[in-house]
Amino acid sequence: MKIRKLPKDKLDFFASVVQQFGEVHAPVEQDGKYVFKRLSRWSEARLDYPRTILPPKKYVLPQRETLFRYREGEGYVPCTEGLDKRVILFGVHACDIYALNILDQVFSGKYDDPYYQTRRKNVAIIGIDCWPDEHCFCRSMRADFVDKGFDLFLGELGDHYLTFVGTALGDDMVLATGPLFQDVSQEDIDEYKRRSSGKRQGFKLHVEIRDLPEIFEMEYRSEIWDELGDKCLSCGSCSMVCPTCYCYDVVDDTQLGSREGSRKRSWDSCLFATHALVAGGENFRKGRASRIKYRFYHKQRGFVAEYGRPSCVGCGRCISACPVKIDIAEVINQLRGVQNAPCR
Amino acid sequence: MTSEAEKILIVDDDRDFVEALSAFLEAHNYIVLKAHDGREGLKLAKMQRPDLIIMDIIMNERTEGFFTVQEIRRTAELETVPIFILSSLYSQAPDFGIPPNSSWLAHDEFLSKPVNMPDLLEKVQRRMAERQRNAEPLVGRKAET
Repeated sequence: MKIRKLPKDKLDFFASVVQQFGEVHAPVEQDGKYVFKRLSRWSEARLDYPRTILPPKKYVLPQRETLFRYREGEGYVPCTEGLDKRVILFGVHACDIYALNILDQVFSGKYDDPYYQTRRKNVAIIGIDCWPDEHCFCRSMRADFVDKGFDLFLGELGDHYLTFVGTALGDDMVLATGPLFQDVSQEDIDEYKRRSSGKRQGFKLHVEIRDLPEIFEMEYRSEIWDELGDKCLSCGSCSMVCPTCYCYDVVDDTQLGSREGSRKRSWDSCLFATHALVAGGENFRKGRASRIKYRFYHKQRGFVAEYGRPSCVGCGRCISACPVKIDIAEVINQLRGVQNAPCR
Repeated sequence: MTSEAEKILIVDDDRDFVEALSAFLEAHNYIVLKAHDGREGLKLAKMQRPDLIIMDIIMNERTEGFFTVQEIRRTAELETVPIFILSSLYSQAPDFGIPPNSSWLAHDEFLSKPVNMPDLLEKVQRRMAERQRNAEPLVGRKAET
């Protein structure tokens, strides 16, 4: 992997020039929180953000989209408008890149999703180092570091960014802005390692995930699920802000007697009362306790069996978004019977 | 002689320069629209659909013009409007080091400040004539031989 060094005070120049590769979107402050948004000027970018309300997932799996339209005599016409828009996501944290890598597995494995894949191909990722706050536990989830899924990654180096080039597109960006970059010295690498080590010590929230699937198997009938069910409002906020929740609902938008219509999909949540409702009126997860339990089991147990790791990346969004303060790390630690597991 | 309908938008935070340049262009029968930052410039460009834009780079922030040019280029009705960059960027930030190549800047002309007015006028007139030629309907045009 090619590694170069970019002075921080040249980042505005860098962003200006890389606009040739696509629209630059970055975290922007909005009502005291942060959202990924297209920049109209560089000063809007807030690269020191803790987390955005919605993860970068929204660029590859939009909240609502029309998949295709149909009309009698014409058949199905896929809606491809905007799918090929080239976007540069500037300032993506490692955990969110890790989450995109997880979504790639879901939408590009057994079941190829051409809508997701086309969007993903057109979204360039410029990652950036971050510092954990009280809700971050990405280190516990092994998502505090990524070695793929980004075009460039800007590592913290004081006055500079140690820039890791992840793809040919990333290399093109560096080549296009060549005069802004400098060679990396051994001192720079040593300094980067020292800072990375310091960041590891900065995590306040820890969970131990090594034998989590077994713990979940053993605690299937735990009272904790009923307590959580009593507390949970089934609002679905945790799923909406989760960078790896990918459940969606599909509906046909048509009128009785009409000869045309469209098929639409939108984000769904397994916390919603209707999520497991099927034709005939049967609902497989009527109670809130069964729904929140299902969410935990899918993230921490089912996904491990299917893909070899939990789908949670420890970004802390569900903790900060939950109106009744359900804390995923706290629940896991409760199931384990510990207060705050040491970080390994 | 230029057409009265031809509008030029100047986007520059240096108000004295904008006034001087607009007086010069108005004297040559152009209608001049003035904006003093990128946002105002973009808004005016969308509303007034100028025939040519003269854009500064360093305004409220030193890359403001770069971002405004990209915004203009991504606005469907302004995709092809000629953009002249008039900037002292390369003298004010010599360490920028990347030449004003049209592959990334999406501009039509780059002129360093201080600008040579007759030279600018000649370039503007040439670009306006080209634009008018391209806008003529194909029907009725004499076939090239």
